[in-house]
Amino acid sequence: MAINSNGERAQHWEAQLRKGCLEMAILASLWQSRLYGLEILRVLSEKSELALAEGTLYPILSRLKVEGFLDSEWVEAEAGHPRKYYWLTAQGRRRARQMAGAWNELASKLNVLVQPVVGGNER
Amino acid sequence: MTSAQVADQRIETYLDRLQSALGRVPEGDRRDILLEIRAHILDSTAGAAALDGTVERVLGLLGTPEELAAGYATERMLARASRSLSPWLLVRSSWNWAKIGVKGMLVFLIALFGYAMALGLTVSIFIKPFMPSRMGVWIGQGSFNVGVPAHPELMHELLGRYFVPVIAAAAFAFAIGTTHALRWMIRKRTPKYGLTQSGWSV
Repeated sequence: MAINSNGERAQHWEAQLRKGCLEMAILASLWQSRLYGLEILRVLSEKSELALAEGTLYPILSRLKVEGFLDSEWVEAEAGHPRKYYWLTAQGRRRARQMAGAWNELASKLNVLVQPVVGGNER
Repeated sequence: MTSAQVADQRIETYLDRLQSALGRVPEGDRRDILLEIRAHILDSTAGAAALDGTVERVLGLLGTPEELAAGYATERMLARASRSLSPWLLVRSSWNWAKIGVKGMLVFLIALFGYAMALGLTVSIFIKPFMPSRMGVWIGQGSFNVGVPAHPELMHELLGRYFVPVIAAAAFAFAIGTTHALRWMIRKRTPKYGLTQSGWSV
């Protein structure tokens, strides 16, 4: 029972951690190029193993656009239907840089702390 | 009916339901959303061998049209609310948030309490000229009362002629404080993201 509970708590913690990073991950996925929804999902999945539900991505993209972090335009594609491409606005690039900086700083400090735990070094 | 026709019909039914569920979204935005979801479905199913099975899987990952529409409505409303000074928009947004989580319900209750206090205090200012000796801030008999007490003869009124300015300041503070607290909580909220990996869905 206790093991199950610990397992669930660890899983919940990990889920919360991933959720917290999601906005940064979406902004970061658009750092180098304009992408449409399905491409963003693929980049997130391939580069960070963040498998985001399709039905969740589009409302978030819509919010990030309302907040002024993204802009978008419809582009005619060879596929026969237009695709909506997103890119970072200047405000979005500032936000992404700020989030990535905070993430890097936190991760590097915590890495020092958790290194012995990961390495399994006992006292 | 061929497999492709069944799949097409399934997609059209899904988009029709989504259009209905997006009822409150402005027309231009709604058309944009429908086009984007259609493009997503077509891209996700392009080149699939078993088209009807693939369409079912893709639509399943999008969630029901009603869930998808609720996701859009909530995200857009919360984004606008986090920058708005409109109590009406903030209360509506917190109500939408309340429908999807306990934290949202708490925020909604805070919104109701804060704005109800501001409104109640404002109403008491307008009643004061009609009941100058009964409307007040009363203390006594172990109780505290803002308004018209049942037995004013057993209580003592605290503010006297300062009632209107003090209560007006308190009503203003409740309205402004609630507005800023709601905007802050909406900005700091952890969105309810869905992750598809088993065990990560919420």
